[in-house]
Amino acid sequence: MYAVLMILMLLIPAGAGIAEACMKRASKTAQDALLVSALAAETLLYALLLFLPVNSSFLLFSMTDVLTIKFRMDGFSILFLALVTVGFLLSGIFATAYMDHSGNRSSFYAFLLFSQFALVGMDNAANLITMYMFFEMATLLSIPLVLHDRTPEAIGASMKYLFYSIAGALLGLLFIFVASRYSDTLDFTRGGSLNLSAVSGHETLLLVVSLLGIVGFGAKAGMYPLHGWLPDAHPVAPAPASAVLSGVITKAGVLAILRLIYFVVGPDFLRGTWVQTVLLSLALLTVFMGSMMAYRQDVLKKRLAYSSVSQISYVLTGLFLLTDQGVQGGLLQILFHACVKICLFLCAGSIIFHSGKTRVSELLGIGKTMPVTLWSFTIASLSLIGIPPAAGFISKWYLAEGALESGLPVMNWLVPVILLISALLTAAYLLPVTIRGFFPGKDYAVSGERSDGIPEFWLPLVILAAMSLLLGIFGGTVTEWAASLASLVL
Amino acid sequence: MARLLYLICIFLPLLSGTAILIFRFRSARALKILTVACICAASAAAFAVLSADIRETVVFLPFSRTLSIVFRLDGAGRFFLGIVAALWPMTALYACSYMDGSSHLPLFFGFFCISYGITAGIALAGNLFTMYVFYELLTLSTVPLVIHPLTRDAIRAAKIYFVYCMGGAALGFASMLFLLSNGAGGMFVPGGTLSSHPYGTDITCLFYLLGFLGFGVKAAIFPLYAWLPEVSVAPTPVTALLHAVAVVKAGAFAVMRLTYNSYGTALLSGTWAQYTVMMLSAFTIFFGASRAVKAIHFKRRLVYSTVANLSYILFAFSLMTPAGQQAGLLHMAAHACTKILAFFCAGAVLHFNGLTMIGELEGIGKKMPVTFACFTCAALSLTGIPPFTGFVSKWHILTAAAGLGSVYAYIGTAFLLAGALLSAVYMFTVVLHAWFPGSGFSGLSVEHVREADWRMLLPMILLAAGTLLCGVFSGPIVSAAAAAAGM
Repeated sequence: MYAVLMILMLLIPAGAGIAEACMKRASKTAQDALLVSALAAETLLYALLLFLPVNSSFLLFSMTDVLTIKFRMDGFSILFLALVTVGFLLSGIFATAYMDHSGNRSSFYAFLLFSQFALVGMDNAANLITMYMFFEMATLLSIPLVLHDRTPEAIGASMKYLFYSIAGALLGLLFIFVASRYSDTLDFTRGGSLNLSAVSGHETLLLVVSLLGIVGFGAKAGMYPLHGWLPDAHPVAPAPASAVLSGVITKAGVLAILRLIYFVVGPDFLRGTWVQTVLLSLALLTVFMGSMMAYRQDVLKKRLAYSSVSQISYVLTGLFLLTDQGVQGGLLQILFHACVKICLFLCAGSIIFHSGKTRVSELLGIGKTMPVTLWSFTIASLSLIGIPPAAGFISKWYLAEGALESGLPVMNWLVPVILLISALLTAAYLLPVTIRGFFPGKDYAVSGERSDGIPEFWLPLVILAAMSLLLGIFGGTVTEWAASLASLVL
Repeated sequence: MARLLYLICIFLPLLSGTAILIFRFRSARALKILTVACICAASAAAFAVLSADIRETVVFLPFSRTLSIVFRLDGAGRFFLGIVAALWPMTALYACSYMDGSSHLPLFFGFFCISYGITAGIALAGNLFTMYVFYELLTLSTVPLVIHPLTRDAIRAAKIYFVYCMGGAALGFASMLFLLSNGAGGMFVPGGTLSSHPYGTDITCLFYLLGFLGFGVKAAIFPLYAWLPEVSVAPTPVTALLHAVAVVKAGAFAVMRLTYNSYGTALLSGTWAQYTVMMLSAFTIFFGASRAVKAIHFKRRLVYSTVANLSYILFAFSLMTPAGQQAGLLHMAAHACTKILAFFCAGAVLHFNGLTMIGELEGIGKKMPVTFACFTCAALSLTGIPPFTGFVSKWHILTAAAGLGSVYAYIGTAFLLAGALLSAVYMFTVVLHAWFPGSGFSGLSVEHVREADWRMLLPMILLAAGTLLCGVFSGPIVSAAAAAAGM
């Protein structure tokens, strides 16, 4: 059953993507209908998948005895698949209206679907090889999204994306083949698959290689020092693509790191080592630096991209703490950040589409003409800052608590402090949009009609804003689920 | 029976090639049909040998007690013969289309057949002397193919090619003489024929190094690579088959014979000679890949990529472990399939549309979709994206290097990964450029571009499927390589 559903989940986006690519001359309606129905079908399949027993698995093919392509569904796959299906569906609906703005609809839809294909495969990977394969595919298939506008900046940014991602993936490959020598299996095993008797005597090698692997996969998640591509690549893509790149595709890097730490190396192997300190320092540096850079940016989409750099490293901080609450906070942050960031990017897209304004300083009075958009933006902002009862508060609470209980010297107080500073900076870079939009000052004369555009524009925004609020207010179930997932691996 | 099949593999192409040179065919069509038929027949014989698992020894010409022409097929030879027999017919078909409109067709097709027989001879050679003879003959038979366009560049390239290969052969000859004079000229056996260091370790190492460099010339090892970019002036089927597969792989194959079947890994591993060749090939990987990134000429970029990839093979062989030999053989097959495909695509663009520079390829993917879909497969395989065949071979090289565990192996691994990154850059810039033109692109520059004909597309599609299927179903290939390496 799992095999059938899984193959369908891979075939639908791949097949629909190929069909889109062949439908260059078809009408706009046909292209839109195909995209939305494929994305909706994928979401339905995901819903069906929820009824299956966890830990179903199947083997697609084996290249050699060691190199096998194998799928398995566990709680983490379910979490990440939620982003990949719902996030893509909402962005796809938005795209049907937004893409009137820029040409070459069919190729954009095709690569949106192909990216979804790669991510679905990655989320269900049962071993390192399968994950690596889909990780590389996710890079290559999402490059055309960045490249879509074909401007010199877009071409430069996509080359940068290619270079950083492949470099990161190769560091990951280095980890994978070293790990394959020191473990009995490449399959993901709870608590780590390293064969500790084989490892003894080579601990340093494995620590160094784990660090390199995490930094490598961290490239996709925008972690320092391989973050440089992200603030260039995400903003140049069309808004729906920026939304999925920032909200969903970066999480592929997070998933890879999660699998690496908790399913291959094992948290016990890293706990208390210098590698943990280095990783936490890198993640905190990224949190702080991303917020600072976002604060200094005037271009809205670039500001949001730097914000992603910062916010995704919250997740990584949680994962690197190697404690229950840290992981729990990280998992919640994955979910909430996806809702919020997709919403924010789509708002930015809607503003660009209707007013052509790209800079924060130009957004005076935008709330008078586009109230729904700006209200959504505001609610999502509040959630990202972490103001209770919005969802972002919960994840940050658990992250801070996880740090305090980790018992690590210095880090146990440094993490909450940095999180707090970064929250202040988040407020400082997001709220000006709201303030300027709603309170332009008395000299400002409102011009233009009130319009948030057609439902394709405002519906996804409202849904996402509501989710980022309601997941906080009625967050008990989600929080408990995240806690149970975290306790599984720790 | 074995004798007959061996001789068909070698002498059918040799004789038919000679016949083509002697009897001047009026019709180009008849010439092409004859060439393709002979090559297919020889390949059929080769596959018969492979599938019947014939491993007999055939003494062809006993000159003296120590010098004789002997044929025998072992595991590694089977691998090389398989590559050659699979790729030659495809290239023959491709060449039929590519050589439309060229003059001096008998010259081309004659030597094209002859070089097949000689390459098969290298695969089948049972001892060092036999291999050396065919190795020299391969140089002689491929010089006319380089010279074929008869332009000034081609003549110059042929001269450089000749000097390098002959110089290399001289070094190889010195190494062979060392072996023969110390009673190690017998049949190739796993573990080598040299039983001890006759004049101390250093002298053995020195002569091994001479032999490595000498045979390494054909495998384009740094600093003896310079002939390979020059000969890219030759017609593309020649560049694709000979200078990405047959000739250069013959160099790597000869190095493997020298290392594993003549000197023997027991005497060499752990010596300075091993570390020298490891570092030399690791450096060549990086050097070739970075030159490929800089190259703006399409075929030259692929040629430098060949330089880098050959050193992947040499690096694997220089690990001097069974795992290293297995990995080297695997990469030999994977790279052969991938690189010939990439060259076929470059040749299709060149032949039908006269475009040679990467800058001219902007937006060409829409006009030549099949060609560039195939090229994308080649890029994926060369970069090492699973499940393409290039990933499987690179994986085995990495694992073999880690298995050795020495510092040099890890340095080599670092170069290897850097090389893989660079290969992503130099292949995918072409892919992205072809499929996704910049915003200023109007389509005027590719208005008259047309897709290749079926005689080119068929081999390309087969090879593209091959790069994928050999990866997905790599089990038999990997176990064949393991058996060849005695694992």
